[in-house]
Amino acid sequence: MGKNAELLPGTLDMLILKAVSLKPLHGYGVLLRIRQISGEALDIPQGSLYPALYRLEQQGLIVAEWGQSENNRKAKFYTVSAEGRRRLREETASWNRLVSAIAAAMSTTPDEV
Amino acid sequence: MSRFVTPALQPLLRRRDFEDEMAEEMHFHIEQYTNDLVSSGVPPEEAARRARKEFGSLDNVKEDCREARGLRWLDELRQDLRYAARLLRKTPAFTATALATLALCIGANLTVFAVVDSILLVPLPFPSSERLVSVFNTYPKAGVPNDGCSLPNYYERRGQIPAFSALAAYRDGTAIVGETGSTEQEQVTRVSPDFFATLGRGPAMGRAFTEAETSASNDGVAILTDAYWRQRLNGDPHAIGRKIRVNGFDRTVVGVLPPTFSFLSSKARIYFPLPSSPEDRAPKNRHSGTSHMIARLRPGVTVAEAQAQIDAHNAVMAVNGPDAKMMADAGFRSIVVPLHADHVAPIRPTLLMVQAGALFLLLIGAVNLINLFLIRANGRVKELAVRQAIGASLRHIVSGVLVETTLLTLAGGLLGLIVGAGGIRLLAVLGIDRLPLGAHIAFDARLAWAALIGAIVLGFAIGVPVAWFSLRGHSAPGLQGEFRGTTAGRAAQGLRHGFIVAQISLAFMLLVGTGLLGVSLRKVMAISPGFQPENVLSGRITLPGKNYPDVPSLIAFIERLTAELGRQPGVLSAGVVTNVPLSGFSNKSAATVKGFSLRPGEAPHGFYSYSVGGDYFSAMGFSLREGRFLTAADSRRAERVCVIDEDFAHRYWPKGGPRGGAIGQRVFEGGSETKNDADAYTIVGVVGAVKQAGLIEDEAQGAIYYPFGHRFDHSFYVVVRTSRLSESLGIALQKVVRTIDPELPVNDVQSMETRIGDSLVARRSPALLAGLFSGIALLLTAIGTYGLLSYAVAQRRREIGLRMALGAQPEQIRRQFVTLALRLLAAGTVLGLAGAWLTGKAMQAVLFHVPALDAATLAGAATLLGAVSLAACLLPSDRAARISPMEALTEE
Repeated sequence: MGKNAELLPGTLDMLILKAVSLKPLHGYGVLLRIRQISGEALDIPQGSLYPALYRLEQQGLIVAEWGQSENNRKAKFYTVSAEGRRRLREETASWNRLVSAIAAAMSTTPDEV
Repeated sequence: MSRFVTPALQPLLRRRDFEDEMAEEMHFHIEQYTNDLVSSGVPPEEAARRARKEFGSLDNVKEDCREARGLRWLDELRQDLRYAARLLRKTPAFTATALATLALCIGANLTVFAVVDSILLVPLPFPSSERLVSVFNTYPKAGVPNDGCSLPNYYERRGQIPAFSALAAYRDGTAIVGETGSTEQEQVTRVSPDFFATLGRGPAMGRAFTEAETSASNDGVAILTDAYWRQRLNGDPHAIGRKIRVNGFDRTVVGVLPPTFSFLSSKARIYFPLPSSPEDRAPKNRHSGTSHMIARLRPGVTVAEAQAQIDAHNAVMAVNGPDAKMMADAGFRSIVVPLHADHVAPIRPTLLMVQAGALFLLLIGAVNLINLFLIRANGRVKELAVRQAIGASLRHIVSGVLVETTLLTLAGGLLGLIVGAGGIRLLAVLGIDRLPLGAHIAFDARLAWAALIGAIVLGFAIGVPVAWFSLRGHSAPGLQGEFRGTTAGRAAQGLRHGFIVAQISLAFMLLVGTGLLGVSLRKVMAISPGFQPENVLSGRITLPGKNYPDVPSLIAFIERLTAELGRQPGVLSAGVVTNVPLSGFSNKSAATVKGFSLRPGEAPHGFYSYSVGGDYFSAMGFSLREGRFLTAADSRRAERVCVIDEDFAHRYWPKGGPRGGAIGQRVFEGGSETKNDADAYTIVGVVGAVKQAGLIEDEAQGAIYYPFGHRFDHSFYVVVRTSRLSESLGIALQKVVRTIDPELPVNDVQSMETRIGDSLVARRSPALLAGLFSGIALLLTAIGTYGLLSYAVAQRRREIGLRMALGAQPEQIRRQFVTLALRLLAAGTVLGLAGAWLTGKAMQAVLFHVPALDAATLAGAATLLGAVSLAACLLPSDRAARISPMEALTEE
């Protein structure tokens, strides 16, 4: 697990929204996609994936629909809603602000103080 | 309603789908992961094991998912419900007692609430009905509190009072409707053209009346109610333009009202224009209150503002008014009151009192249930302690209790609805429809909502003290064994005793209230109506002016009628009168005694005024004080004579006074002496006073009786005294009338005893209901006392056993428990005594000559309550006295 980054609290919802915004996915697909787009660095604890999905669906940020999986199995696919897309944009923006602020803070040298 | 309920129920309805889909989704996940692991070279069994392990506990994940979807409370509720249902099933006697208590208490409240709601709360069925007002003339110093309004009032005020957006006049009456041979007497209302516009609801078909139709030569039109249109015209869609025959003349139907049209308590089925001549509208008739006035306030205008404008308008009118001075002396004013409130004002205190009684009953029932629950909860102390020790949260215990009490009250509420439906039927038998707006009382959706909301509130009201006790009582000592010795145990016992004392005092107050009502009713019933009502039948006849145009034709009819009736078997005497006592109407007008001119500032007095024909006085059973009765011959003679009652006589000729007796004195109709002495009536007799407005009428109003021939009316009552009243007499009366005139119906045929009974409806029904409530309250008190003492005995079994083993006598043990019951009874009664005083004071408005504290009633209530409580404690005390020491001490 050495190369894996620790998942920051509160970021799971954002990652799920990002994953399903690229392409409709079933739950297991979300897991694989996040691993893939994070360069295999992020591994979601499987037990917390589904409660998160249900929460997002309850909030109307993602929409679930039953469809066919790649191997022709019945599976529940999630897509992002318009509301979810807006939320994703906001969260991405605020995440970026946070990252640059922390990066700036952490790269400060003694003579800059 | 479904708009609100469906979303709330959706999680319940779709719950199964949700669970299935969730299971399938997770199963798919694990399967996919397993497949991926297998393709990466893991052996299948190992792959399946790892997939499941990494997914974590399926149950926990599912629970988290349910919580994410807000479904967890549902599961907990279901668990609590199942648990509560099991508990209730395990104790059938407890559950049945509680349900019966709730059904009776909630049912009683729903019954009374149905009445209060439809009479006092539901607005009149007109748009913005809160803006409708009634305007009436009052002459308090002349003893005439409400004289309606006059036609001049209407025509002078119309369009002149800025506070009113509309104003209308109406007059109730009867008419003979139908073709010869199939006529019927109908209640009708004559209305001004703006009547329907003022109410805001007009004919559903056709039009309202026009201004042109207010003249007597052009008023041959009618508007039908929906009921009349359906029954008599078979709901003819082309009814407009059809003719109906009224009092022998044709009238054209110009409108049909919608089915929901209902004006106050009016039973009118046909509306006619209110016709008048220019003379009728002249200022000299300004104080002939022949009609009633309604008006609609402009939005935002208050009753007080309207009152100020009416006062100002009256003042302007009085400047050159013919009787202005005299009317001012009589205290004349026109009063503006809200239409609905004014209409129900006479019955309001009684209804509120009965509702208060029902709420008392509910309170007693609730206290009883709390105590039963507390007793049972005490038995569960150990269980609760164990539950808490293994991690049940406080919230859990509280919600468990609340779910159980609410489940019980909801079931009780459902049963209460059934009891309430029966109660409403019982009220119908008691004659509740004769109350103002009483015909509107119905079992409707509002009642069902009231039951639902009431049941939930009650569930919490009962649950909170029980939950509080459960939280206090569960603590560690519960686990360690004997509970009763602890502080918490003593507190619980105090709580139970407190509740039983409260219950006894509430029951005592209810009993006293009922007793006061009973005493009051008995006092009212003991009042003599002033005549002999036994075996007297009365009915109302209206002669159409077309066939009976003049006095001789009227007198001829009345003489033939009384003669024919006198020939019927069993008839002792018969007569006619313009108004019978206790008819529900009263007509007062001024009369002036010759030589008694009013002093400046003195008001003319309104006397009950009647015209009589035939042998009215002997038929009604009047008592003669002096002189003679009027006879049929007085109507034929030109000489004018009259009879007054003793109140009239005492007013002018007090006994032993200097002016001698009334006989031979002369009286003028109206407020002043006239020049022409020939208009005066000579007093030939003084009769006993009768009760006109009601048995409890206290004021000596005075009455004067004129011969029918000199002061006639087309509408009158026929009164028949018989040797034995039978059902067939009413039919015989109809038949006699029809043989004289086949077109004439007889209306409102009732024995005088029935009229007296009906006038007591508003007193008798509440007393009966209160009696019923008290009976239930006594039963509940008995159950409460019995339950408490049985529990106390069971709880102290070992102590009693020990004391008996040490030599205590059974009698001592018995006395101990009877003493406990007596102590609680005494505390409850003393507390109730204070409450009873307040109850009596609050009830003064509906009581007749009964003080707030009536010693006999108090003693009776205390005795009854004491007897019932003691009877309830005998069985448990006896059981205590028969405890065997060996058994009690050896059992765990």
